[in-house]
Amino acid sequence: MKLVVLLKRLPDLVEDLEVDDSGKALDTEFLKFTLNEFDDYALEEALLLKEATDGELTVIALDGEDVDKMLYTALAKGADKALKIENAGEASGNRGLAGIFAKVVSSLPHDLVLTGVQSAEDIDGQLAPMVAAILDEPCVEVVTQVATADGGVSIHKEYSGGVVAEFEIDTPAVVGIQASRQAPRYAPVSKVRQIQESTTLETVAGSAADTSVFTVVQMTPPETGGGAQMLGNIGELIKVLESKGVI
Amino acid sequence: MLTTPERIAFVLLVLVCGGLAFTGFRNIIRIVRRGAPADRSDNLVARFVRAIVDVGLQRTVFKARPVVSLFHGFIFFGFSFYLLVNINDILEAFVEGWSTIGGGPIASAFNLFSDLFSVLVLIGMVMLLLRRFVQKPKSLNFNPSVKLHAKVTAGGVRFDSLIVGVFILLHVGSRWLGTALHLAEKGHGDTWLPTASLASIPFRGLSAGALETGIHACWWLAMGLIVLFLPYFPRSKHLHLMVAPVNLALAKKTPRGELAAVANSSQPGAEALTDLPWTQLLDSYACIMCNRCQDACPAHASGTPLSPAALEINKRYYANEHSSTLATGNGSSPKLLDFAITEDAVWSCTSCYACVEVCPVGNEPMMDLIEMRRSLVFEGKMADEVAEVLRNLDEKGNSFGDSARKRARWTKALDFKIPDARKQPVEYLWFVGDFASFDPQSQEVSRAVAGLLHEAGIDFGILYEGERSAGNDIRRVGEEGLFDALAEQNAALLAECEFDKIFTTDPHTFNALKNEYGPYAGAGQYQVVHYSTLLVELLETARLPVKAPLTGRATYHDPCYLGRYNRGFDAPRDVIRASGVELVEMPRNRENSFCCGAGGGRIWMKDHEDVRERPSENRIREALALGEIDYFVVSCPKDLTMYRDAVKTSGNEGKIEVVDIVDLLSRAMREGDQKRMEAAA
Repeated sequence: MKLVVLLKRLPDLVEDLEVDDSGKALDTEFLKFTLNEFDDYALEEALLLKEATDGELTVIALDGEDVDKMLYTALAKGADKALKIENAGEASGNRGLAGIFAKVVSSLPHDLVLTGVQSAEDIDGQLAPMVAAILDEPCVEVVTQVATADGGVSIHKEYSGGVVAEFEIDTPAVVGIQASRQAPRYAPVSKVRQIQESTTLETVAGSAADTSVFTVVQMTPPETGGGAQMLGNIGELIKVLESKGVI
Repeated sequence: MLTTPERIAFVLLVLVCGGLAFTGFRNIIRIVRRGAPADRSDNLVARFVRAIVDVGLQRTVFKARPVVSLFHGFIFFGFSFYLLVNINDILEAFVEGWSTIGGGPIASAFNLFSDLFSVLVLIGMVMLLLRRFVQKPKSLNFNPSVKLHAKVTAGGVRFDSLIVGVFILLHVGSRWLGTALHLAEKGHGDTWLPTASLASIPFRGLSAGALETGIHACWWLAMGLIVLFLPYFPRSKHLHLMVAPVNLALAKKTPRGELAAVANSSQPGAEALTDLPWTQLLDSYACIMCNRCQDACPAHASGTPLSPAALEINKRYYANEHSSTLATGNGSSPKLLDFAITEDAVWSCTSCYACVEVCPVGNEPMMDLIEMRRSLVFEGKMADEVAEVLRNLDEKGNSFGDSARKRARWTKALDFKIPDARKQPVEYLWFVGDFASFDPQSQEVSRAVAGLLHEAGIDFGILYEGERSAGNDIRRVGEEGLFDALAEQNAALLAECEFDKIFTTDPHTFNALKNEYGPYAGAGQYQVVHYSTLLVELLETARLPVKAPLTGRATYHDPCYLGRYNRGFDAPRDVIRASGVELVEMPRNRENSFCCGAGGGRIWMKDHEDVRERPSENRIREALALGEIDYFVVSCPKDLTMYRDAVKTSGNEGKIEVVDIVDLLSRAMREGDQKRMEAAA
């Protein structure tokens, strides 16, 4: 089975995020970048699938700071090939990103494309369906398990309330991974270093999105609220409501 | 004198048994040589002289179990002397007229020694057999979940011990009895053979023929038995008497706190038995299976499946069972996890070094575990929570997963600014470490240390967000590559700073910087001191005046990486005494200190489900057994958390206060006992 995993790097949220002087973007001077957590699950699920089917796994990411290490780490974990998309320009939003990814994926023989169901920059989980739409392939989101079935792929999709549905889809297809069956494996630093010394990353030229783009007008930190007050009993609640003139 | 047929029989027996024994010994040498390389070729003469002196004085044996060690001493000294006795007895059998009885002063002295040592060996051996088979101490058992070779479960070690015990009793007993019969033959006692003379009295009435037959029988039981025992020797734990001195001589002589480098970086650590360094293969042949390491092991004491003793015993039993295939290298080398130990036991180790410290024969079971961890980590096999911490350390340089930029946040509450050692020269560079930087309780101690040093006018600085974990526990988890990366980054930053000495409050950081940064910074590049040493210096030069000496009683816990590893025993105690309190020692102190359970990366892992009592709770129980104790004093950031938690989880809240040495000192410089009085009120 030929597998492709789309990886995204994101600002590490343990850092304090600040808006830069332009007021339209994050100040990246002190930002650290890290792999999108859900993409890590997608990679783990793909690795499990690769091991089970003796498949071939390619990971793809857009060039940028710390991307090389991210790709070498994926190779150290067991991916067969890592592609770095260069000169794609700044992807504008997930629509733009989906276009860049889809163009590269379309040139690769593949049975299944996996990516994180969402990311901090894509809370509503649009990337997987948009890539699928551009490739004209079926898509399932919020996937917690992928396995091979007769002629196709069996997929567990999670619904709210703990309900899980099992799908069978024809390949090629795109899935958005919610969780992997096991925690993402650890790639030992020495293995990553060895891979780094013995392998060169393959690069492909990306083409900037040929779709409509949006422009950022303004970026501001969220307004902080006044905080919460813990009340001891219903009497106190009535007093507060009275003082606010609600009752 | 033996008859001619007897002599021929003896020579034939020596040839046959010697030949069989030779194969056994040759296999052992071949197996040990299959291990990974380890260089022990330095100072060979000094190594062996030292080992012989240590063995001769039984120094390593007397580290624990004094009574048992005394009986062992009886047997050891007796058996050593018996080398001469055996030579004499062969001469007696083969040289016409050779006898020491009634000889000159040397012969008489020889007789006296052999007579007394015979009795001592017999007493020692009987006592040890009574201990094992009648008293049956719990220390000879293993936790139920410890992996054991089938033959060990079936009582192999007991059976081996019985054979060895009976062999010694028969060998020495018959020789002694034979001497008594010789005296009975002569019809009188001998001043130089007091006990044999006494024993000869009942035999004096026997006929000359009967006595002669008895003498021959005794000779064969004494000497023939030794020869007969030879082929069994390489398979028995009794082999320790030969291998232990060699093992002690070839022990690792580099600092205790410096782990051996990875031998093969493309396949680090040990998955199979023969992946272990040869010195650690030799360990299992030196092992006398006394379980002292298990006694000292905090993981075993808390109920986990880890027994360092079982590890060595399993290695040995496996090697005995497969000696010819292992020796020739035919077939694949077996995986340690298949026969020696379970994976959860490998991860139960706190790297406290107690097993290595106590071992009378110089074994290093802990190093096997480190080698196995290296291999497991390289294959990505570890608990999810460990993987998470390692990822954090790789990405952020600290185990807390916090932003590197927040490393020095603890300094913000100080009323002065600590100089940035990256920007200005300082006398003391304070390498703070993860725990003292990020853990809220330890941050208070860090601030107290900063305050005292500031008050004393010490010129010190920190690395702010430039510092990364020193990597001590990362290395003990087995993540050699990550340790490498962290050490390189830290050493590169330190190379840009100007300072005289490094100090730290964290013994783990202290150990790594002191013992393991040589390859990154150049050996001896850093002069590293623990803050306890620095505080003592300031106390001695009266730069930290104690105005309100404390009263009350305190006990002190030696952190493994300060105490056992680096022998920093006295400075923390001096600080405690300077504060005015009375210091009461726990039974397990100094090099015998009992680990809190946090080391070797254990602090990042969940408790094993078999844990009955955490090591830290065990330690608090030990402290409370001393009677009225006000302070449980620590000098390690991890200990502060471990023991404050343990006081709560063991239901002893309010009974004892866990404090850092610097807490006691600051109180003695300021409000004195006030705080404790208030707490009591």
